[in-house]
Amino acid sequence: MPKPMIEVTQLRKSFGVHEILKGIDLTIRQGEIVVIIGPSGSGKSTLLRCLNCLELPTSGRVKVEGEKFADESGKYNEKRVARLRTEIGMVFQSFNLFPMMTSIQNVMAAQIKIRKKTAEAAKTNAEKYLKKVGLAERMNHYPSQLSGGQKQRVAIARALAMEPNIMLFDEATSALDPELVGEVLKVIRELADEGMTMVLVTHEMRFAEEIGDRIIFMDKGVIVEEGEPSELFNHPKHERTKRFINQVLHPESEKTLI
Amino acid sequence: MEILSHLDFSTALNELTPELWQGLLIALEATVGGFVLAVILSVLLAVGRLSKYKFLRGILVVLLEIVRGTPLLVQLVYMFYVVPLLVSLIVQFFIPNYQFQLNPLLAGILGLGINYGCYLSEVVRAAILSIDKGQTEAALALGYTRRQALWSIVIPQATRQAIPVFGNYLIMMIKDTSLLAFITVNELLLRTQAYASQTFLTIESYTILAIAYLILSLPLSQIVRLLEKRSSKHA
Ligand SMILES: Nc1ncnc2c1ncn2[C@@H]1O[C@H](COP(=O)(O)OP(=O)(O)O)[C@@H](O)[C@H]1O
Ligand SMILES: [Mg+2]
Repeated sequence: MPKPMIEVTQLRKSFGVHEILKGIDLTIRQGEIVVIIGPSGSGKSTLLRCLNCLELPTSGRVKVEGEKFADESGKYNEKRVARLRTEIGMVFQSFNLFPMMTSIQNVMAAQIKIRKKTAEAAKTNAEKYLKKVGLAERMNHYPSQLSGGQKQRVAIARALAMEPNIMLFDEATSALDPELVGEVLKVIRELADEGMTMVLVTHEMRFAEEIGDRIIFMDKGVIVEEGEPSELFNHPKHERTKRFINQVLHPESEKTLI
Repeated sequence: MEILSHLDFSTALNELTPELWQGLLIALEATVGGFVLAVILSVLLAVGRLSKYKFLRGILVVLLEIVRGTPLLVQLVYMFYVVPLLVSLIVQFFIPNYQFQLNPLLAGILGLGINYGCYLSEVVRAAILSIDKGQTEAALALGYTRRQALWSIVIPQATRQAIPVFGNYLIMMIKDTSLLAFITVNELLLRTQAYASQTFLTIESYTILAIAYLILSLPLSQIVRLLEKRSSKHA
């Protein structure tokens, strides 16, 4: 079995009195593509953000390639957390490109600042990844001059240029106009083919089915059910999973809101 | 109407203009010095007030209240006449008979810088808080520490956003350098006063002075307006 890249044990997360994650156990192995689905507000983003420590767990622990985010005494040391985060790339729904930098500067910045590369090396690398996401022609454009799909591809290139071993995608296509979704999914698909370990939150069920090695259905802060895509989509075991999949695949047939 | 026929603008203009040029140089020196200090202070104060250390935040709030609760003129006078005495008193514990002197222009720069730094810090603080949290998160996800994200991602955007407001304060500061006349800095007002009292060309002198300030600040206001337009790009 490939080695575990992310190990989550008994992860709980509360915001104030609201417990959003209620004891999550999850292991993601090298090269695995895990897709998290579930109704909005079920805690998918929070779980994803715990995987790179953007949210601190209330209890439980997260390990990345065998290393815990918290140190022996349970403290979160800023430098250690930052170092572990460089192993994990994250792509956000809202892109979060740096607006005062061009595409290529966006991709170069962290390589220089964090990886301590020379500007020249960072530039070569940035060009490579911008070409990879099909943006060779847009290197010197500012984010404000790019379409949503282009912005998201720059964001992917920015994450990839740090050469992470794991990529997290939080609804990477949800903010895009329908006609721009395809170009971003194409890039993700190529990453999948190269064997990148990935965790994706998405509402694109067909894409999830096609790309995922494993689908996780979350509801109300727990993992309700997980399994291979064909299994989970065609023969869901739990009533809640059934209802969710029905609603998403046939939005007209049921009136209840997700 | 009698007085009108006695007005002598051409003499005043001829004699006062060279003086005003001299004064302007000093006023600009004070403005450049004061403003650079103010900008640096404003960022430091803003960051300090957003720090997690309660004690530091407390001290800075007190400082801000003192500066905002007292007139700039009083602060300048205090900086020029009182601060050197206090410094002398303290240093005299170690070096007997030590006398600390503060040159008027330097006192003016310090006074203007601290005063404007406090007001500008509110602008910078608001700008920092207005930057989307996604910016910090994107930086953190790339491996930046919080401090690195603040200084290399958030603050450049915040200051850039604050530039037009900074511009307005810069114009205000140029005008406020006239207060330095009260601490013996030989800027435009002090020179005009001297000239007017020698020649009794009171109306002429002060009118010319007022126009000089107008000529100085009108084009600057235009530049600020341009900056406002430009800074909305790529933001
Ligand atoms: N920083 C936060 N503070 C308070 N509540 C939050 C915060 N982040 C998320 N939540 C709450 O946690 C719940 C789950 O959110 P989220 O993980 O974003 O769900 P999902 O991504 O599945 O839609 C929501 O009810 C949301 O309001
Ligand atoms: Mg979400």
